[in-house]
Amino acid sequence: MEYFRKYTSALIFLLALACALSLPYLYESQTLWYKIGLDKTLLRLGQISGMIALVLLFSQIVLAVAGRFLEKSFGLKNIMAWHRANGLLILFFAVLHVLLILVPEGLENLPIGFKFWPEMVGALLFWIILAMVISSRYRQALHLDYRRWRAIHKPLGYLTPVIIVVHVLYVSDSFSHNVPKTILLLAFALLCLRVFWVKGTAFLQNRKDKSV
Amino acid sequence: MQIYKSLCVLFLSLLFFPFASTAANTWEVDTGHSNIYFSVDHIFSKVHGHFNDFTSEIVFDPADAGNSSFAFTITVDSIDTNISKRDKHLQSADFFDSGKYSTITFVSTAVTPGDDGLYNITGKLTIKGKSYDLVLPLVLAGMKDHPAAAGKEVAGFNGKIVLDRLAYGVGTGKFYEMGLVGKDVEVFVSLEVTRNK
Repeated sequence: MEYFRKYTSALIFLLALACALSLPYLYESQTLWYKIGLDKTLLRLGQISGMIALVLLFSQIVLAVAGRFLEKSFGLKNIMAWHRANGLLILFFAVLHVLLILVPEGLENLPIGFKFWPEMVGALLFWIILAMVISSRYRQALHLDYRRWRAIHKPLGYLTPVIIVVHVLYVSDSFSHNVPKTILLLAFALLCLRVFWVKGTAFLQNRKDKSV
Repeated sequence: MQIYKSLCVLFLSLLFFPFASTAANTWEVDTGHSNIYFSVDHIFSKVHGHFNDFTSEIVFDPADAGNSSFAFTITVDSIDTNISKRDKHLQSADFFDSGKYSTITFVSTAVTPGDDGLYNITGKLTIKGKSYDLVLPLVLAGMKDHPAAAGKEVAGFNGKIVLDRLAYGVGTGKFYEMGLVGKDVEVFVSLEVTRNK
C-alpha cells in the first residue's frame, strides 16, 4: 500500500511535469516565431524553466499542506525536507526563467510599466519567492521570530499560486488557447480543492478531538 | 530728453522684434488630436502602430515659409501596436534598440511652399544615433479660429512618407528576408496646432 501511494504521488508529479513541458511545444508562443538562432533557444529554455517553476510551485503547496496521504507515504520529516529543497529549486528555475526570457530582449529593455502588467506580476512573484526563500533559509541568522515568520510565510505561500496563474494566463500567448488555459485552471482548482480538503478535514478532526 | 526716451523705446523694440515675430508664429501641438503613426506589411496584412509620446516645436507663417521651422522628438518607448510584447520586440535591438537610442528626432532646415497647400519640410532625421537628410511633405489642411477655444487659432497639417526602415538601420533585414515584416514603412503625420490670436 505504501509503495502504491509513493508511486501514485510520483506518477501524478511526473504527469503534471510532462504536461507542463509539452504545452509550450504544442501551443507555441508567437514570440518564438520572431526569435532566431541562440535567441530562440534561450527564449524556449526560459519558457521551459517557467513551466518547471510552475509545477514545482504547485507541488510546493501540496507539500506544505501535506495531509494524511502524503504523511503516511513519505513521513512528515521527509515532506518538510522536500519542501525546503523544493523552495530552492523554485527560486533556481525562477531566476533561470527571468534571465533567459529577458536576455534575448536585452537587459536594457526591461518590460516595466502598466502596459507590461503581466510581466510586472511575474516580477512581484519573483521578489516574493526570493524573500520567502531567504527568510526561510536564514531565519535564525536574520533573528526572525518563528511565529512571526510563519504568520507571513504561510499566507504569502498560498498567494503564490494565485499570482503565478494570473502571470502565466496573461503573459504567455500559449495560454490564450482553450486547452492549455483549461488545463492550468483545472490544475489550480484541484490544488485549491486539495488545500481545502486537507485543511477542512484537519479542522473537523480538531473539533471532534476537542469535543471528546 | 523726450527724444532720448523715444530712441530707447525704438531701439528696444527693434531688438526684440524678431523674437516677438517668432513667438507670434509659434504653434503649440494639440497632443490629443495629433498623431505620428505608421503602417508596415506583415506577410499579407498590414500592422498599424503609433507613438504615444512626442513633442514638437513649430514656427509657421504661411506668408513667410522661409522663417518657418518644424522640430519633432519622438520617444521610442512610447511605440504602441496594441500588443505589448510586439512593442517590446520593436524596442529591442532587433529594431529600434530604445535602450541605447531613446528618441527619434526630426529638425527642419528649410520649409518650401508647393502647390495646393503643400509644404516640403527639408530636415535631418536622427534615428538610432545617425542623421539622414529627409524631406517631409506636409499639407496645410487649413487655418481658422478654433471652434471650441475662444481667442485661439487652429491649424492642421497632414503628411505621409514612405521610409525604407532598413536604410535607417531599423532591423537587419532578417525578418524582411524571411518574408515576415516589410521594409517599407508608411509614416503618417497628422497635426492639429494652436496659438493665441
